[in-house]
Amino acid sequence: MIQLRNISKKFANGHVALNNVSLDIENGEFVFLVGTSGAGKSTIIKLMMKELELDSGMILINDKDVTKLKRSQVPHLRRSMGVVFQDFRLLQDKTVYENVAFAMEVVEASQKEIRRQVPMILGMVGLSKKSKQYPHQLSGGEQQRVSIARAMVNGPSILVADEPTGNLDPEMSWEIMKLFNEINQRGTTILMATHDLHIVDRMKKRVVEISDGNIIRDEKRGGYFSENQNR
Amino acid sequence: MKIRTAKFFVKEGFGSLRKNKTMSAASISSVIAALLVIAIFFIIVMNVDYAASKLESQIEMMVYLQDNLSETIVSSMSKELETISGVKDVQFIPKAQALMDLNEKWGDNAYLLEGLEGENPLPDSFKVTLTDPSKANTVALAISSISNIERVVYGKEELEKLLQATYILRVSSLVIITILVFISVFIISNTIKLTVYARRKEISIMKYVGGTDWFVRGPFIVEGMLLGLFGSFITSLAVGIGYYYSSNLIKNQMIGLLSVTLMPFGELISSLVLLLGTVGLLIGIVGSFLSVRKFMKV
Repeated sequence: MIQLRNISKKFANGHVALNNVSLDIENGEFVFLVGTSGAGKSTIIKLMMKELELDSGMILINDKDVTKLKRSQVPHLRRSMGVVFQDFRLLQDKTVYENVAFAMEVVEASQKEIRRQVPMILGMVGLSKKSKQYPHQLSGGEQQRVSIARAMVNGPSILVADEPTGNLDPEMSWEIMKLFNEINQRGTTILMATHDLHIVDRMKKRVVEISDGNIIRDEKRGGYFSENQNR
Repeated sequence: MKIRTAKFFVKEGFGSLRKNKTMSAASISSVIAALLVIAIFFIIVMNVDYAASKLESQIEMMVYLQDNLSETIVSSMSKELETISGVKDVQFIPKAQALMDLNEKWGDNAYLLEGLEGENPLPDSFKVTLTDPSKANTVALAISSISNIERVVYGKEELEKLLQATYILRVSSLVIITILVFISVFIISNTIKLTVYARRKEISIMKYVGGTDWFVRGPFIVEGMLLGLFGSFITSLAVGIGYYYSSNLIKNQMIGLLSVTLMPFGELISSLVLLLGTVGLLIGIVGSFLSVRKFMKV
């Protein structure tokens, strides 16, 4: 469960990224965060990951106050969330298997758990046959699936994605969205920031639109643009 | 720390060394350069110190006795001298012996002694060697309080100068080696920073998936340790071999010319290896710690 309570963030250069924003996301929801570049979508994600500090307000993730966490507790917060980026962020000198296993090694999982969990998750994203290949041997869509596998391998309750289809063509994008949908159906909460209007329109999920640091729309089953807005 | 975590650190640390061969070679070279300077300085200091302590240990105290003391008095005095703390050895030199020694010492000029016409103006004496030359003053004072003693003579001023010089040498060498260590840490951390920079993506991924600060540092610190140890191993080997041959060479060439020789290889090498190993390890660890710090803020 994600709860944002009156959060504000102003950057050092004076730009107001978020202005008194409140948002509740229930367990198991699938939420699109839309809006123009610089509207504050990525800032929300960074604040949730505690990569940035809030100016005021409160963020509760699974009922824990993120703003009160000490630096040493941040790793545990991040283990409850998987993250996927537009640029995949895979390690080029590691194989698909190693890239995913790496995320488990970092949280000090045992080799036994790693050997059980990694093939399973690679099967889920449909990359079992490519586990020994390196990222540069894969298509963009496959690389993004590796990064989704890495985000999910430690079993987080929330999956956060920042423009996950930004570097992919429409067909690949749709494959990724099907995977997201599947993950969501298994109970993982998904928060995805995106520019991709086709996907948002086609998925018919909850849409939260941000503009200039304010939430201007929150629809249960929305499209990329609001109904009463001229296209 | 869990064993598998340690294994992971070692695996990643070694892996990074192998993958970044050029950078590793550059880092090891700068470790070697820094350690070489420290090693050369250390060898100079150790040798000067060695020579100084050799000179110190040669310092003797002459205790001149009053005339015509009976043998029993002399032997009881000898025993009394030996009980004074700081006295290593006491040797009685009867006046006849002293005259013979003088005769020998003066060599060609010994004819001057002929003018004495059989008289011996020299007193009986004790030659006293000390366990710790810096306590010469107290020992001299204690000896003077024994009865029947005419005079206690030792190179007081020379001894004090020597003690002061070795003290200054020891302190300043410590200061200079400390400064050198700091400079090397700076150089190493800059070199390692380049490898860390190349791997900043890896660091940020580790942080995103919930790696703790210590976990992220681990492999880099292992890498730094390995760089430092490789560097100190190569330096020790090079300096050790170099010292072994040059000390032999100097010993063979100059044995007649100088009374002070180079510190023997066997005495120097263990402390040299220990120093280089420790310093190498230290600069590796501190260097990588410092260079990772900047990239931890994710």
